[in-house]
Amino acid sequence: MEKSIENDKIINDLLPQKFGKAGKIWVGTLIAICLIGLFAYIRQLRYGLVVTSMRDYVSWGIYISNFVFFVAISLVGSLITAIFRLAGVKWGAPLTRIAEIIAVAAIIFASIIIIVDMGSPERFYFLFIYGRIQSPIIWDVIVIGTYFFISILLLYYPLLPDIKILLRFKERSGKRLYKFYNFIGSFWKGTPEQFKLSEKAINILCISIIPVAFTIHTVTSWLFATTYRPGWDSTNFGAYFIAGAFLVGAGSVIVAMYIFRRAYNLEKYITEDHFDKMGRVLVLLALLYTYFNVNEFLTPFFKMKKSEEGYLNDLFTGHFSIVFWFAIFIGIILPIIILLFKGGRKPLPVFIVGIMVVVGAWFKRYLIVTPTLLHPFMPMHDVPENFHSYFPSWEEWAITLGSLAGTMLIITLLARIFPIIPIEETLSEHHESTIKNENA
Amino acid sequence: MLNKLSIALLAFCLALLCITSSAQAVEKNDLNITVNYFLTNNKVPYLMVKVTTKINGKFTNVSGIGLKLFLDKDSTGTFIGKAFSNEKGEAFANIPPSVKSEWATSQKHTFLAVFDGDKKYEASKAELTISKAKVLIEAGSDKTVTATVFELKDTAWVPAKGVEVVLAVKRMGADLTINETPTFTTDSTGKVSGDFKRDSIPGDAKGNIVLVAKITDNDQYGNLRVEKVVNWGAKFVAVSNFDKRTLFATRTKAPVWLMLVATSIIIAVWGILIFLVVNILKIKKMGNNTL
Repeated sequence: MEKSIENDKIINDLLPQKFGKAGKIWVGTLIAICLIGLFAYIRQLRYGLVVTSMRDYVSWGIYISNFVFFVAISLVGSLITAIFRLAGVKWGAPLTRIAEIIAVAAIIFASIIIIVDMGSPERFYFLFIYGRIQSPIIWDVIVIGTYFFISILLLYYPLLPDIKILLRFKERSGKRLYKFYNFIGSFWKGTPEQFKLSEKAINILCISIIPVAFTIHTVTSWLFATTYRPGWDSTNFGAYFIAGAFLVGAGSVIVAMYIFRRAYNLEKYITEDHFDKMGRVLVLLALLYTYFNVNEFLTPFFKMKKSEEGYLNDLFTGHFSIVFWFAIFIGIILPIIILLFKGGRKPLPVFIVGIMVVVGAWFKRYLIVTPTLLHPFMPMHDVPENFHSYFPSWEEWAITLGSLAGTMLIITLLARIFPIIPIEETLSEHHESTIKNENA
Repeated sequence: MLNKLSIALLAFCLALLCITSSAQAVEKNDLNITVNYFLTNNKVPYLMVKVTTKINGKFTNVSGIGLKLFLDKDSTGTFIGKAFSNEKGEAFANIPPSVKSEWATSQKHTFLAVFDGDKKYEASKAELTISKAKVLIEAGSDKTVTATVFELKDTAWVPAKGVEVVLAVKRMGADLTINETPTFTTDSTGKVSGDFKRDSIPGDAKGNIVLVAKITDNDQYGNLRVEKVVNWGAKFVAVSNFDKRTLFATRTKAPVWLMLVATSIIIAVWGILIFLVVNILKIKKMGNNTL
């Protein structure tokens, strides 16, 4: 009887909750930002890419920076779900759904933003009709599609037992959601055979998502590294991108877990211990990323090749230096220092560090794309003055912010539809720990 | 009132004086003009006049300078032509048929280049005196290259002794000497000879290369050059990647290895994904049967 009450309490705590006043304002704000972005995109469709500040030299601007950022964030699905699971990290279980939701939302907008960058959207269709398998861009299209599909499956399989629970609460879910749950998971009866097949599938997914995740970001890095330009001509790029992606992904999970914990009162399930452990993970990833940054910048700085001098000086002391050192210190170094202290791994400081990491990472992607394009190997001659610099137009900002808002909107809506913490898994763990305590 | 008017008038006069004096302060630059004589393959000789000026202590090429060129003396009958310097400061002119009779009168001639001056540059002139000479080139069956230099004495061509000659092979960017010796000096018979040591040098499709014998910047004869085609080079077999399977070819011409690798990976990964989708259908079937 007591056990049943405890289970009901857990289920009640973890069932998706309707938006309160703050939730509605949040969703309304995100929709408004998305609509402004949509308006800017309509202007771009109507007048062409000329409404952006991208010109002959900076032909990849804030859109591609944003694309790389989204691809980076999406990697967290493979880190928290697959790597933690295969490594036997039990404490990460409540964070898996958050990670998968972030991964799905980010990969959706990574695909959308690349179509935005193409200008005319029909060019995306041409990519399939005329695309060449020799081109890293096609590899990226293939691998993003694959990763999206795997992420959906990895979100879906562990959801099945929870759907069965959700179907028990028809009145709380509402008619439409109940229909939806019924459609996607009414067949789940929780039989041992079903569990066996599901477990097997999840294990296969966890194993296969890791190489695909590594490929998606390595191939994204190759879009740059296979191009002979200052700053991109690097053999370090694949590993450098993956290290950075894990860091920003972990940072985004920390931010999301803090917000969900506060918004849905999940203190019992996402504990201070989770923040402490995620803080430690973040330190490890930040140190790894620092190592790759040193590799990426120290050796070119030491050689200071004439062709790369302008680019490097622009980063270290020139036009982009404030953004560069902000991304390094606020996005990497300061988080390491804060998280090394036990007090720094409390929920609020870790949340703030998570924001620092995510914001720093966004600017880092901007620095990967733009400064290189402003320093071609051949000097710029006889070009209009505005070709020499790049600052995004309001349309670019609106579309970029719209895509970021869109990602957060998808995360918010998925958290409204599905339990943000796996209910069935929590119940099982609770049951196991109770038995252990009784035996002890 | 009168006092104020006087001050204003004085100020106006001073300003005018300043403007005039500054206008007068603009000085014209001097031009450096040098005349060079060229004869290639013993055909029509031509002149190249180089025009430079000194700016901040450095010689700088001057373009757009109109130069009048004369043979021996500044007169209408000996007018070679007018040439303008290009962006490298070089002006070119062939020796025209109109001065043929003057050209034939002597074995030694002086070329005059005259610039009349303009708003920026002072008038300037330069001259160059050369003796008529010619070079002949022969290629021996034992791959020796022989060049003979002759100069015109009265009406006869006689061998020129002590002239430095370069024996070389014509290449894309410059001439490559036929062996390690940079220059040869003619003997009393006006001859120089050298062994051809560039055996593996690429030629055209038939293995043809161009041998060169040249005299460069000689005070007496100017610049003379003669060329001869020989079949001493390696045959160049053009390798075209057009329409072949390469990384930079069209989509239908992707390398086979790449297509195999890419397709294998895609089939392997999507095979797993299809298996997992089928797995869902299996789970669904199980659930429906449990009813």
